[in-house]
Amino acid sequence: MSLDFLSVGGRAAAKSPLAAATAAAGASFEIRGGWELATHFAEAPVEAQACRERVAWADVSHMRKLELQGTAEQLSAARPHDGVWLALTPERALLLDGDEIPVAAGLHVLDVTSQLGALRIGGPLARELFARFCALDLRPHVTPPGVLRPGSVARTPGYVLCEAPDRYLMLFGAAYGAYLWEVVSDAGTHLGGRAVGVDALAPTETCSGA
Amino acid sequence: MRRLPTQPGERIDRESSIAFTFDGAPVSAYEGDTIASALLASGRHVLSRSFKYHRPRGELCGCGQCANSLMQVDGAPGVRACATPVLAGMRVEHQNAWPSLDLDLMSAAGKLASPFMPVGFYYKTFIRPRRLWPVYEKALRHAAGLGRLPKRQQERRWRTEYRRRHCDVLVIGGGIAGLCAALRAAQLGADVVLCDEDLEPGGVQLAEGGGERVRELAAQAQAAGVEILSRGCALGYFDGLVPVWQGDVLHQVRARQHVAATGAIEQPLIFPENDLPGIMLAGGARRLAALYALTPGSAAVLACVGDAGLEAALALHAAGVRIEAVADLRPDAHELPVGARVVEAGIALLSGASVVHAVGRRGVKRVTLARIGRDGAAVPGSEQELECDLLAVSGGFVPASSLLLQAGARASYDETAGRFLAQELPPGVHAAGSVAGYEDRDAAELSGALAGAKAAHALGIGGESLRRELAEQGARLQALPLARTSSPPACASGRRGGKAFVDLDEDVTVKDVEHAALEGFDSIELSKRYTTATMGPSQGRFSQLPAVRALAAKTGSQLGEIGLTTARPPWSTVPLGALAGRPLEPARRSAIHARHRELGATVRWAGEWRRAYDYGEPEGEALAVQESAGLIDVSTLGKLIVRGPDAGELLDRLYPNTMSTLKPGRIRYGVLLSDAGRITDDGTVCRLDEESFYVTTTSSGASAVEQWFSWWLADWKLDAHLSDVTQGVCAVNLAGPRARQILARTTDLDCGADAFPYLAARQAEIAGIPCLLLRIGFVGEVGYEIHCCAAHGEQLWDELMQAGAELGVRPFGLEPQRILRLQKQHILVGQDTDSESTPYGAGLEWIVKLDKPQQFIGRWALEHAAERAPEQRLVGFTVPSGQLPSEGAVVLDGAAPAGQVSSARRSPKLRSTIGMAWVPASQAYEQARITISDGGLMIEAVVTTKPFYDPEGAVLRA
Repeated sequence: MSLDFLSVGGRAAAKSPLAAATAAAGASFEIRGGWELATHFAEAPVEAQACRERVAWADVSHMRKLELQGTAEQLSAARPHDGVWLALTPERALLLDGDEIPVAAGLHVLDVTSQLGALRIGGPLARELFARFCALDLRPHVTPPGVLRPGSVARTPGYVLCEAPDRYLMLFGAAYGAYLWEVVSDAGTHLGGRAVGVDALAPTETCSGA
Repeated sequence: MRRLPTQPGERIDRESSIAFTFDGAPVSAYEGDTIASALLASGRHVLSRSFKYHRPRGELCGCGQCANSLMQVDGAPGVRACATPVLAGMRVEHQNAWPSLDLDLMSAAGKLASPFMPVGFYYKTFIRPRRLWPVYEKALRHAAGLGRLPKRQQERRWRTEYRRRHCDVLVIGGGIAGLCAALRAAQLGADVVLCDEDLEPGGVQLAEGGGERVRELAAQAQAAGVEILSRGCALGYFDGLVPVWQGDVLHQVRARQHVAATGAIEQPLIFPENDLPGIMLAGGARRLAALYALTPGSAAVLACVGDAGLEAALALHAAGVRIEAVADLRPDAHELPVGARVVEAGIALLSGASVVHAVGRRGVKRVTLARIGRDGAAVPGSEQELECDLLAVSGGFVPASSLLLQAGARASYDETAGRFLAQELPPGVHAAGSVAGYEDRDAAELSGALAGAKAAHALGIGGESLRRELAEQGARLQALPLARTSSPPACASGRRGGKAFVDLDEDVTVKDVEHAALEGFDSIELSKRYTTATMGPSQGRFSQLPAVRALAAKTGSQLGEIGLTTARPPWSTVPLGALAGRPLEPARRSAIHARHRELGATVRWAGEWRRAYDYGEPEGEALAVQESAGLIDVSTLGKLIVRGPDAGELLDRLYPNTMSTLKPGRIRYGVLLSDAGRITDDGTVCRLDEESFYVTTTSSGASAVEQWFSWWLADWKLDAHLSDVTQGVCAVNLAGPRARQILARTTDLDCGADAFPYLAARQAEIAGIPCLLLRIGFVGEVGYEIHCCAAHGEQLWDELMQAGAELGVRPFGLEPQRILRLQKQHILVGQDTDSESTPYGAGLEWIVKLDKPQQFIGRWALEHAAERAPEQRLVGFTVPSGQLPSEGAVVLDGAAPAGQVSSARRSPKLRSTIGMAWVPASQAYEQARITISDGGLMIEAVVTTKPFYDPEGAVLRA
């Protein structure tokens, strides 16, 4: 027996834990890589303007997430060149968006893609939006690009990674997906922002993580 | 009041008029007006009614610190009209008066009944009979309320939310000292936030000739990167966290250094009828004239104890207000430079005098001034009556030190300064300006700049040169004299009649404080609680010192001996909605949640989860499971992956039975115990391969179990790893006589009873989805718990529902599941067990393996527990009469309580009432008769120790 049941692989497309919420918010969907992705909420220029001038958020829960557990040496040896490596403890790390599955003797790798929902939040008001539901200190000199902040997001356990100036990736328990979407939309809309499709906030450069 | 000619630095824009309504009538205002200034300009001088006696009240402070101008604005109660800018179309209404502000019938009750309403009367009057308290409470609250809050959230048109802000330095107070502190800290490179209660930073200087300077400082501060939160009230100090309420946002400011530049509060004078409209603080009168170009009165009298009052007289005189006289308590007032200027201006100055009485009905008409003797009382024969419509008073200043005291500073009375000062500031907290005793403008600037630099230096900014600068500035500041205050005259309660209020918010008089002292409430803390002085919306700003003085006078104590009451948040009033933030509750939802909604599920909270409680017909759903098949979403179960060479060893140490002997593909039930051998959780353990186990827990216990496992794993240093996959795995339970048939339609797996027996686990694809199938039976029927990646959860549900449609499959919710499990007497941890339940009492003796080689959690306690029979046992019961006892109903042994019902339901299958209960061990045998007391109802029940349904488990294992 194996842990295959933890990974996506059905005939039908996998759904994000935020799928119902994004659908209710008017998302258009496309199937990509076995996932049903919210690709648009409005015309591309409108979404681009929100990203550029206010704040925007996109559901990127489909992003592959692997949890690695082992000794510090095992983790170090297994660290791949691609993907975003996030050290959670000396014996535990997350690998985001990696192409390969790291392999090393004694290393335990678990696909936690479905375990963690993910929202990418970007724009000049991104930090202001986080401030509405999160007490993490995201000021640039405290949380520069590549730095991960574990903590409470909207009163639930989560992580915030600064991917680039004014762009963050928020990871949270998948079951909180609809709640987090509501929280972010509620505060973000009040700040003049909007939900956008996955492409509107696609990374322009690779963040190697920490 | 009328408008004055254009004043330098006035806030109003005379070119821009806006309209709003007050109690339905249109009112015109200028852009920049506050609600109060606009109403005063329109001729209204009664702005509110008092809390207890419903006396008319007018403008007092002019800066949003008192409770005299509380109004209902666009539905929101308790808005301070003198600090809230007018907006076009605003709907402003009075509060706490009926039928109108000018004709308030409750004021008659206040006049007639006040002799019968001494301090504490309601403590004594309404204590009996106790059952009538709800009636009394309703009437009292109705009579003494402060506005009406819309009852439903959707009727509230305002929004409140949190904003977290980290910074290096938080400066509280935007007067000249605060601005200098913020500017200096920012110039040195600190990330600075400044909050200020006023519409713009500047403090008293805005109205007292320093407007240009403070506006320039504010501009410099902003240019230096200071974030200025205007109209932002700092509510308290919570170990470095300072909540700042601003409009609709509660900023939670976390700073590494704090500078309190909270200023000083001008005090009223205490004399009979000191609450009449038209009696206001001298500083407030100056604000109205300087910022809103209003004449606070056509004929004014001033009464003061210091220079501030004389300066106010000069300013009002210069603005065109006729000053009838100024009474300064200081005998040498006319010899002081500012006194001389008053005399030169042609204003009558009475040295050594004060106001002793005021007369009027809806506004002051006449005041009596008198010389004050050494005993603090009026000198007989020296009284002088003057007609006026404005009495501006200035009873000295009190440092606004509440936040400093909340931060840990100590308040002590400084005889030299004549005031309570905050001393022994805690690390990281600095004081500047008036709150530190520096009222003079230059001294305030210097103390502010010094505090800002000190805060920056404490952050590690600046080197030796800054340290030298701090030392030099500190020495300069030390050389400056601290501000001094003369004590105002004492007020004897009966002098000249009328009520002399020490607390206008709560309608507490000098007489009340004296009565309280006579009744034994002679410490300031007790007096505060008995009289409620200082407990109103202004949080003691204007009443703390008068109450202390009144008590000191009555008890013959010194002010320092009386002391101050404990400073507590909130320093300013704040709507409860601001503390609550947005009405969004963290909720977990399964991947199939939307589908449950579509199917009409009643969704309820189950721990942190939103769960389908039923789909409209719980008993029908339960019957369907037993007659055809049912499908329930059990994604809420806790799910852990335990892996590694020592995974089996870890589980053996955590569970009282043995898990390491499980074969791959087999499942075992387990309970988790505390050190004391009490049941804390239960679930199943499935072995996936030699080094991997899949552990399920109760829904509510998932987080605790994960922490429990992690804690012991770290302690025992075993070679095993733990992953909580609760939220990433969707699980459904397909159960019922047709469950196997339905499952077979969706998978190639051999689902036969031999190939896939009870307590076996298999991996298979269902409609192409990789799944883990567990053959277990919580509901007592043939059942398959199917686990898959949550991203496919909805698809799995749909496939199973579709496959079972013609076989009668129905979704079933939590409630039918509870009926079904009760028929099998399967326990619910936390419902059928409590913190005292052991496996022995709960009928789970079979699970405890005291003979296994490993030590396990709870073993020692269970070894002792095994030596004697439990006093209570968990058993099943039926109720022949069909009555349904409440969960928690008492099981009697004779007449004494001896146990309780833990679960009870009506079983549609068995057509009877069934339940589980903890009963005395002496009654825990088959067919024993027990009596259940349920809210006065006596219910006879019959004990059964075996499951009500399928007692031998033949159905389950079929």
